Amino acid sequence: MSALAVSLEAGRLTPRVWFYANYHCNLRCSYCLTESGPGVPRRELGPERMLALAREARDLGFTELGVTGGEPFLLDYLPELLGEMARILPVLVLSNATVFNARRLRALEPLADLPVRIQISLDHPDPVENDAMRGPENFAKVVRAVPELIARGIAVRIATTLEDPDAVDPVESERLCALHRSLGVPDEDHVVRPIIRRGRADTGDLGVAAGFEQLDPELTITADGAFASPFGPTVRGGRMDTDLLVTRTIAPLRRPAEALAGVVEGSPPGTDTRLGIR
Amino acid sequence: MAQLLDPEPAIRLVQAADAPLLARPYFADGTPSPITRSLAQVPELLDVTLPFIGAALGASALDERTKEIVILRASAVMECRYCVATHTVVALDCGLTAQEVAALRGNGAPQGFADGRERALIAWTEAVAAGRGSVEDACLDALREHFDEPAVVELTLVAATTLMLNRYASALRLPAAQVTLARLREEGLA
Repeated sequence: MSALAVSLEAGRLTPRVWFYANYHCNLRCSYCLTESGPGVPRRELGPERMLALAREARDLGFTELGVTGGEPFLLDYLPELLGEMARILPVLVLSNATVFNARRLRALEPLADLPVRIQISLDHPDPVENDAMRGPENFAKVVRAVPELIARGIAVRIATTLEDPDAVDPVESERLCALHRSLGVPDEDHVVRPIIRRGRADTGDLGVAAGFEQLDPELTITADGAFASPFGPTVRGGRMDTDLLVTRTIAPLRRPAEALAGVVEGSPPGTDTRLGIR
Repeated sequence: MAQLLDPEPAIRLVQAADAPLLARPYFADGTPSPITRSLAQVPELLDVTLPFIGAALGASALDERTKEIVILRASAVMECRYCVATHTVVALDCGLTAQEVAALRGNGAPQGFADGRERALIAWTEAVAAGRGSVEDACLDALREHFDEPAVVELTLVAATTLMLNRYASALRLPAAQVTLARLREEGLA
């Protein structure tokens, strides 16, 4: 049995393959891992390549797909691509939910019966505090978009990213949960995670440090190479970090997948101090 | 002969803190070579290239002195500053005299090698490094008088691997490691 098969079967390698669809974004969040923003190079993977890699991921034994960016929904082809990917494996796609105008919402309607979930960032129950981190009108756009998506049969998950999840005010926390429930998102679809001290968060002195030993190994494909975690292809001062780079080769997918499995299986027992961030 | 001035590299040399996962073992001793630090930008190539270089140029059935004569002479003919500097130190460490090393690094035909086996080896190395097309029969036959066929095959791979590294290091303007430069200064060979 290959190291990859062993790693997947034992659960040491997460069965989801992530794709960085693009790096550009309409927002410029203060803790962004990838220094994304409106003016950055797009570095798109492209739909044909993502589909081919998704098929190979399934054939290699992976069971889920993830799509992130940048803001993936800035790509006009994304809804159709998600539909095609979801026919291969279930898809979780991350979004800031600020670009769901009427046209994009209509384009998402065909996904209603497919295994596609959209994970949306919402950090604070107060618009002012939320928007301080994520940009003007972010809060208003999110609370408008979530019910619209759910009404169209699209599964939504809410992700809250905090400087220190353990230090959060319980009253504030309950207000946030009341908010996501009111939007139609149950507690089991709400995740709270710390800011990871990489990318713009590192520049801004925010969050918890996380390297290979602290992150769950999740094969992550970008236009610049394959990484060991979706928190890996971070950018600081315009330059990509390489400490979590696995291979520059992304196709065939077997190459980075086997390389990452080799690293995972070769790590001495007990060296991980995983934060369990998903 | 090749100048041993320290050039500015044409590419970024990866620091230990940025070492990709597959490259980490090669950074573990704290003194990765510029070859390692450059190849770390493409870790899947580093992961196969360094073991190959180690197998081709490191300890093997051929004695170390013989291999270093080939490596140093080929590097000098190819005017590779990085490889000449690096293998000057290796050659001294494996027992070549300062005079022999200086001769192998020089422009003219190396003098001071009394052994016919080593003279044939040097002439063949120069033909491989500087020539085009196949090596002339007379040159190869002279080598065969002293080395059996498996040794000829291995010597050819040693020379060819050296030429690959000569072009790689020269094209990327890799600087010699500081520890190498310090040793060359000590030996008066900088």
